[in-house]
Amino acid sequence: MRKYIFTLSCLLVFAFGSVLAQETETETKKVDKPVRSPFESGYLIDNQTTVIQPVNTLEFAIQHKFGTVENGHSDLWGLFASGANIRLGLNYVVANNVQIGLGVTKDKMTTDFNAKWTILEQTRNNTVPLALAVYGNIAIDGRDKDQFHDDFKSSNRLSSFAQVIVGRKFSDELSLQTGLSFSHYNLINEGMYHDKVGVHFNGRYKVSPQGSIIFNLDMPLDLGYLDTEADNYENPEPNFSFGYEISTSTHAFQIYMGNSSGLIQQDIMVNNHSKIDMDNFMIGFTITRLWNF
Amino acid sequence: MGLTLVFAGALFMAFALPQDKKMGGPWEIPAKYKDMKNSMKDDAGSLKIGKMLYTKHCKSCHGGKGEADGPKAGSMKTAIRSFKSAEFQAQSDGVLYYQSFVGRDEMPNYEKKVLDDEDRWSIINYLRTLK
Repeated sequence: MRKYIFTLSCLLVFAFGSVLAQETETETKKVDKPVRSPFESGYLIDNQTTVIQPVNTLEFAIQHKFGTVENGHSDLWGLFASGANIRLGLNYVVANNVQIGLGVTKDKMTTDFNAKWTILEQTRNNTVPLALAVYGNIAIDGRDKDQFHDDFKSSNRLSSFAQVIVGRKFSDELSLQTGLSFSHYNLINEGMYHDKVGVHFNGRYKVSPQGSIIFNLDMPLDLGYLDTEADNYENPEPNFSFGYEISTSTHAFQIYMGNSSGLIQQDIMVNNHSKIDMDNFMIGFTITRLWNF
Repeated sequence: MGLTLVFAGALFMAFALPQDKKMGGPWEIPAKYKDMKNSMKDDAGSLKIGKMLYTKHCKSCHGGKGEADGPKAGSMKTAIRSFKSAEFQAQSDGVLYYQSFVGRDEMPNYEKKVLDDEDRWSIINYLRTLK
């Protein structure tokens, strides 16, 4: 694990230390404007980007993860398998670079309320070399209370996720992000973590004006030494996804494969015990549709 | 007999009526836009940006080469003029700006999708290369 963290840190120091030219020679104006579209959408697979649409934009997101591909053609590589997870989300941009949203997820009938604020936007002439955003959500497990234990309290339903995201558009093609997050569940199963700190690394590489190769890696950190009660707990597995994105004026369509069935981030960071193994991969997609008001 | 005649008449009309879409009427362009000057030089950088944005926002209706043959063009009620046409290219940059970003009827407003004026002029510069 420490090797992973060290490698990631080296990558980031190298990456963000460089000062590659961003845009074309025409960008010599006095006002250093934000770079154009570091990402095509506020979503990148099952994570967030630093991108927030213009004020008064409504975004509708459909996220879907099918079953695992392990059964091959017998269930069409998971497309016809039971147990698919679905999230429908609505986000609205209430002020410049401030977005609020809500979503409903099939797994545990979860409802989430979320907000994102892009504090800094990277600029074309590197006056601001990085984008910086904060994202958070609070989610409510909506299952019947019989599904919980005898001492059920309403607060048992709650979980939360907070994340700082730093990103940079290196060229017209390549944009990368990293992030640090904290996930919390009020109630968890025996032998699992209430809290989990994690790091995130994701990006896109444009291969055509509308198409990009995309990837995402979420790594829950094993900080067991901070929690002596967690000595025997099994750390959640990293979530790795890769796919392809096609974007238009009002849509982004991302199809991918990944090894976590979760669609809200705290679920991915705390509850994913599915190893990065081809049999555990499942096909998924994220579609966003924008309306401007 | 009467019913047969009505049916035959309807069938005839279905084939006889013109199927072609009509071009939209003349544009009423406010003076502010008619006199607008293009603030972006049509250099390689601007054309690259223009092409990228054209592909994202315009291609689905206007087609890859501006010949009004994009996949969504068929579902429009109004015919789309080719960007290659002399009539289109004869219009001033300001007029193209108004038509492209303010729009009317089936040509949607893009002022909230393409926010930066430099980006808008880059698209206009790219449209000029499609002649």
